[in-house]
Amino acid sequence: MHHRLIPSKFLKLALLVPALAATFIIAACSPQHPQSTFGYAGPVARDQGDLFLFIFWIAVFVFIVVEGAIIYAAIRYRRRDDDKIPKQVHGNTKLEITWTVVPSIVIAIIAVPTIIGIWEQQRGAPTDQGDILEVEAIGHRWWFEFRYPNQEVVTANEMHVPVGRPVNVKLASQDVIHSFWVPKLAGKVDMVPLNDNLVWFIAEEPGIYDGQCAEFCGIAHAHMRFRVIAHPEEDFQNWVAGMRTPPVAFEPGSPEQQGQTLFATHCKTCHTDDSWRQDAYSLELQQQDSRWATWLADIENSRIVSAPNMTNYSQRNFLGSGIKENSRENLIRWITDPNDIKIGTSMQAHAAVYQERADNKINLSQQEVENIADYLLALKPGDISQLTAPVITGGTPEERGEQLFISIGCNACHSLDAETTIVGPSLVGIADRAGTRTSLSAQDYMRQSINDPGAFLVEGFTNSMVVPKLPPDQVDDLIAYISTLK
Amino acid sequence: MRFPRIFPRPKSEYGIWSWISTVDHKRIGTLYAVTSFLWFLVGGIEALIMRVQLSQADSTLIDPELFNQLFTMHGTTMVFLVVMPLSAAFFNWLVPLQIGARDVAFPRLNALSYWIFLFGSLFLNFSWFVGDAPNGGWFGYAPNSHVAFNPTHGMTYWVIGLNILGIASIAAGLNFIVTILNMRAPGMTLTKMPVFTWMTFVTSVLIVLALPVLTVALIQLQVDRLYGTHFYNTAAGGDPVLWQHVFWLFGHPEVYILILPAMGIVSEILPVFSRKPLFGYTFLVFAGVAIGFMGWFVWSHHMFTVGLGPAANSAFAISTMAIAIPTGIKIFNWIGTMWGGSIRFTTAMLFAISFIAMFTIGGLSGVMHASVPTDAQQQDTYFVVAHFHYVLFGGAIMAIFGGIYFWWPKATGYMLSEKLGVTNWLLMLIGFNLQFAPQHWLGLDGMPRRIFTYAENMGWENTNMYASAGGFIMALGVLFFIINVIYSARKRVPAGDDPWDGRTLEWSISSPPPHYNFEKIPNVAHRDDWWFTKHPELIAEYYHDEHAGELRAPSGAQFDDDDFAEDEHAEAHASDHHDDDDHGHGIHLPDMSYYPFILAIGLTIIGAGLMTYIPVIIVGVVILLWGLLGWSMEPVNDPAPEGEAHGH
Amino acid sequence: MASASATYEIKNEHGEVINTSTGLSNKKLLMWAFLGSDVMFFGSFIATYLVYRNRSLVGPYPADILEIPITSVSTFVLLMSSLAMVLALSYIQQGRQKLGTFWIFSVVVLGSIFLMFQVYEFNHFAHLGLTPRTNLFGTTFFILTGLHGAHVTLGVLWLMFLGFGSLKGTLRKDNAIDLELAGLYWHFVDIVWIVIFTVIYLISARDVAPPGSPPFVGH
Repeated sequence: MHHRLIPSKFLKLALLVPALAATFIIAACSPQHPQSTFGYAGPVARDQGDLFLFIFWIAVFVFIVVEGAIIYAAIRYRRRDDDKIPKQVHGNTKLEITWTVVPSIVIAIIAVPTIIGIWEQQRGAPTDQGDILEVEAIGHRWWFEFRYPNQEVVTANEMHVPVGRPVNVKLASQDVIHSFWVPKLAGKVDMVPLNDNLVWFIAEEPGIYDGQCAEFCGIAHAHMRFRVIAHPEEDFQNWVAGMRTPPVAFEPGSPEQQGQTLFATHCKTCHTDDSWRQDAYSLELQQQDSRWATWLADIENSRIVSAPNMTNYSQRNFLGSGIKENSRENLIRWITDPNDIKIGTSMQAHAAVYQERADNKINLSQQEVENIADYLLALKPGDISQLTAPVITGGTPEERGEQLFISIGCNACHSLDAETTIVGPSLVGIADRAGTRTSLSAQDYMRQSINDPGAFLVEGFTNSMVVPKLPPDQVDDLIAYISTLK
Repeated sequence: MRFPRIFPRPKSEYGIWSWISTVDHKRIGTLYAVTSFLWFLVGGIEALIMRVQLSQADSTLIDPELFNQLFTMHGTTMVFLVVMPLSAAFFNWLVPLQIGARDVAFPRLNALSYWIFLFGSLFLNFSWFVGDAPNGGWFGYAPNSHVAFNPTHGMTYWVIGLNILGIASIAAGLNFIVTILNMRAPGMTLTKMPVFTWMTFVTSVLIVLALPVLTVALIQLQVDRLYGTHFYNTAAGGDPVLWQHVFWLFGHPEVYILILPAMGIVSEILPVFSRKPLFGYTFLVFAGVAIGFMGWFVWSHHMFTVGLGPAANSAFAISTMAIAIPTGIKIFNWIGTMWGGSIRFTTAMLFAISFIAMFTIGGLSGVMHASVPTDAQQQDTYFVVAHFHYVLFGGAIMAIFGGIYFWWPKATGYMLSEKLGVTNWLLMLIGFNLQFAPQHWLGLDGMPRRIFTYAENMGWENTNMYASAGGFIMALGVLFFIINVIYSARKRVPAGDDPWDGRTLEWSISSPPPHYNFEKIPNVAHRDDWWFTKHPELIAEYYHDEHAGELRAPSGAQFDDDDFAEDEHAEAHASDHHDDDDHGHGIHLPDMSYYPFILAIGLTIIGAGLMTYIPVIIVGVVILLWGLLGWSMEPVNDPAPEGEAHGH
Repeated sequence: MASASATYEIKNEHGEVINTSTGLSNKKLLMWAFLGSDVMFFGSFIATYLVYRNRSLVGPYPADILEIPITSVSTFVLLMSSLAMVLALSYIQQGRQKLGTFWIFSVVVLGSIFLMFQVYEFNHFAHLGLTPRTNLFGTTFFILTGLHGAHVTLGVLWLMFLGFGSLKGTLRKDNAIDLELAGLYWHFVDIVWIVIFTVIYLISARDVAPPGSPPFVGH
C-alpha cells in the first residue's frame, strides 16, 4: 500500500539514538560526582568498576554487531519490488549452532572474572594490608549507627576510618532492610534484619565519601544518607581518643548549660550524648536495644524510638542523616520542625516534645530551641593536652596518684581488673611486668609510657591514649599508685 | 437440575449487556485491550508525575509519601494491569484464530478471567480515592510492607488486589493451555503452530505455575497484616529473606510472562513484512521454551546484595548469564528472518524492528547485572531502572504496539493511518531512548532508585531533566496513537481480509472475523499454512522438497463439548442465534452468560470484606455462590426458547 | 508426514463424538493443569514450613503439642475416603447408580470426619496455647493445614453437589467425567495431606525448643 513511507534515513536515525546513548554513558564518565561508581577510592570499588568496563566493552562489541546487522538488513533488504518474493529460507542449522556456541563462549569469558570477583569480595578484608578496623553499621529508619567495638566508640551517620587500612563493616538492621553503599569505596551490601552481612573496603585517599541507603525502606528513604570520612592514621586515632574524652564543662547559666538541661529533659531518653564515659559503650548498646523493644511494644504510641548517638555532635559535618550542612541555622530548623528538612522522621512522629503540639512542631520556645542547638554545637572533646591536672595535695604519693588516676580519666581505658580490657591494657600487676618490657627499668618504663605513650606498644594494642601534660612530681605520684595495683 | 434464574439469559448482541454477558473470545479480547490501555494511560500519568518531580534537585512538588505510592502503583499497574492483560488481549484475539478454532476451550471461564481482572484492577486503584494507595513498592519487601512499619491500608489493598488479579491470570492461563493443547485444527501439529501461539502456551504454563507462588507470598503477608501472624514479623523470627525468595520465585518467571508474548508478536510481524518464513522456527521455539524453563532458576539474581553467600551467588550468576544464550538465539533468528527478505516498513514492522534493537540493549545490561560484583554497584540504582525499561518498554510495549498496528485491520476491518502511526512510533522511540538511555548513566553515577528527591550537588540534575523531557515525548507518541485510533475510526479505510499478505490462519478469514471465526474448520498442512495456500509453488522451496507431497488432513470438528454446544450434530437448534449472519448456519457457539460477571463481583466483595467487616464477606460469599451454582447448572446452550423472555 | 492423526475422536458425556488434539477432554486437561498450579501453591507453603522449622522464638514447639496417634486416625480416614472415591467413580461409570451414590456420600462423610478431626485439633491446640499468633510454628502450622482444610471443605461441598446430582439422576454414566474431575481433585488433596502429614507430624514432630530458647512450660 504505502510501504515506502519511511525513507531509510529515518530508520538509520532512529537506530543511531541508542548507539549515541551508549557512547554518551562512557564519555560522560564524571568520577568527581559524589557518588560516581567510577570515582574509585579503594580496591573493592576499583575491581567492581574494572569488571564493569570489561563487560561493557564486550557489550559494546555485541551491540555494534547486532544493531549493525539490524540496520544493514533493514536497508539492504528493503522492499524494492512488490512482486518479488524472496527465497523461502527454512533456517540454517550450522549458522544457528554458531550463534548458540559463540555467545556461550562470550558468556563463559564473562563468567570467569565474575566468579573470581564474587569469592574475592566476600572473603572479607585482606589480612596482609595492615590492622583491620572492625566497625558495625546498623541501619535504622532512617539513619545509620556506627559502632567500633574495639575502640568502644559509637556514633551516627558519619563513619570515621583510617586511610590505607582495611575496614571490615558488619552490617545489621533491626527494623527493615536497608543497604550500605558508598559507591567510591565498595558496591552495596544489604542490611537485613536477622541476617547480618559483611562488607569491606580500603579508603586509599583521605576524604569524605558519600554513601546512601540503597534499599527502599519507607518514607524517608531518599533522605537516609551518610558519609565515610577517611583520615590519616594519626587523625583517626585522635578522633577515636576524642570520642572517649569528656567535653569541656559549661559555665552555669550559659546558653549551652541551659541547653544541656533542656536536652536532658526532652531528648536524652533517646539520644545519648555522653558515650565518652567509661562503660558507656556497652550501656549504649543496651539502651538502643531497650529503645527498640519499647517502640516495638507499642508501635503507635511509643514515645521512645531508636535514635542517633550525639556524643561530640559538633564534630559532625551534616545533620538529618547526611542531608544538610550541620550549621546552627539548619540545626535550629531541624529541632523546631524536622519535617521542614526531612519528612517522616521517627523523632517527630514519636517524641513527646513534638507530639504535644497539634502541628507536631517542637513544644519549646525559640530561645529554648536555640539553647539546645548551642549545647549540641558545643559538644566536642575537651582539649586534654591543654588541661592542667588538678593540684592534689596531702596524703601519700599513692593516695594522690589514685585521685589523679581517676580525675584525669585513666580508668576510662585501663581496667583495674586483670581479666578486663577496656581500651588499653589492664594495669593490674604492671609493676611486675614493667621492667621486662624494654631495656628500661620499671619506673622509667612507666614514666615513658605516661609521657610518650606511643614509644612502646604492648602487643595487640594501638596507641589511642591521651594524657594531659603532667608535672614530673604528679607523674611520680601516678607511678607510685600504679605500682600498687596487684 | 436448573438453578433459578434471576435475570433472563442474555441474548442481545448490542449494548452494554451484550458486553457484560459476552463469552466471545474476540469481544473479551477487546475488553482486555481497552481496559488495559486505560490503565496504561493511568500508569503513564503516574510515571510523568514522578518524572516532573525528579527533573530538578530538591523538588518539593510532591511529598515522599505520594512519591512512594506513585512508584508502587506505577510498577504494579504496568506489570499486572497493562503488560499482562494487554498480552491477554492478544491471546484472546489471536490464539483461536491462529489455531483454527471457534473459541477458547472454556468461554465462560474466559469471561470470568476478564471480569475478575477488571474488578481486581478497580479494587487496587480504589485505594487512590481513599488516599491510601499502596506504598511499599511493587515488590512489597517485608518487613517494610509489614504492618509494624507500614500501618496504613495501602499494602492491604495491594495484597488483596493482587490476589484477586492472580485468580484471573491463573484462570486465563489454564484456559489457554487447554485451548492450545486441545483445540488445534486438524493437521496443526505442535511444530506447525504459529510462534505467537507457542509463546502464549509457554507463557500460560509460566502463569499457571508462577502465580500460585505469588498468591502464597501475598496470603502470608495478608494474614500477617490482618490477623497478626508471624510469617514476616522479624520480632518473632520471621525472615525477610524468605519473602524475597518467594516473591522472586514468582517474580522472575513473571518477567518472562511479560516478554514472551511480545517475542511471539514480533515473530509474527517480521516474517510477514520480510515476506520470508521465520528463520529457524525450531530453534526459535525451543529457545522460547528454554527461556520459560530456565526462568525458574535465576530468581536469586534479584538478591545478589542480600548476602546469600558466594556459592549461591556464583550459581545464580551463571544461570542468569546462561539465559542470555536462548535470548541471543532469538535475536539472531529474527535478524536472520529479515536477512535476504523483502522488507516493507509499515508501522508494525518499525515497532517490531525497534523491539529487537531495544531488547538487545536491555539484554546486554542484563548480562552486566548477572555479574555479581558489577551488580553490587548497579543493584537498586537507575541503571536497573534503565535495564528493565529497555526490556519491558523497549521490549514488551514496543512489540505490543507493533501487534496493535499489525492486527488492528483484522480486528476492526479498517486500517490505522500509517502516517500517524509512523509519527507515533518515531516519537515513542526517540522519547523512550531520551528517557531511559541517560538513566544508565544516572545509575552508574550513584543515583539510587525509589528516592523522591536528591541533593543539588550530586551531578544528576541535567541527566534527569533529559529523562523527564523524554518521558513527555513518549507521552506525545502515545497521544498520536490515540489520535490515530479516532482518526481512523472516522475514515474507515477498509482493510480487506488480508491487508499485509499474511501467513497465518487469521488472515484467511474476513476482517473483522465472524462470530464463529471459521465457517469450515481449516485443515492445516504446513507452518504458515495460509501463506502456502496462497503460494503453493513455494512449499517445495521452504521444505527442501521433504514434505512437498504432504496431504491435507481430512476435515473434522475440533470442539469439545464441555463448554460448547451440547449437541454438535443436532440441527434443531441451529437457528437459535446468529440469525443475522448470512453464513454460519448450523455452527454452535455457547450462549451468553451473566454468571461470570456475578461471580467476579462476589469475589471482589469478599476481598473488600477482608479489609472491612465480616458481614461484607458473607454478602460476597452469597453472591459468589449464586454465580457458581447458576453457572454450573446453566447449560452451555439453552434449548429453543419456550416462553422465556428474550433478553435485550 | 500426514497430519490426519492430529485430532482424536473421543466421546463426550452425551455420547457424541468430538475431536480434540490430544484425545483428552478439555475438562480433564483443565483439571490436570489446575492441579499442577495447586502443587506450586502447597509446595510454597510446605517450603515455608520447612524453612521456619526450629526457628520459633517461644513455645509451644511441635514436640510439646503434636499428637501423632490422633492425626494418624484422621489421615487414615482421609485415605479411606480416596478408596471410597475410586469405588464411587467406578460404580457411576458402570451405571450402578445406587452404589455410586452411596460411595459418593461415603466420601462426603469421611471427608467431613477428617474436617471434624481438624476442628478438634485446632481447638485443642488453642487450649494448649498454640494459635497462629503464638510463634512461627503456630503461624506456619495453622495456615498450611488450614488451607488444606479449606481445600477439603471445597471438595466435600463439590461432592455433596454431585451426590445430590447422582440421587436425582443428573449425574450418570454418560457424564461420569464430572465425578472423575472431582475425584482427581480429591485424590490430589489426599496426596497433599500425606505430604503435609509426613512433613509436620513425622519429620518435625520431635522438634523441641532450639538451643537458647526458653522451653515451653504450658499454661
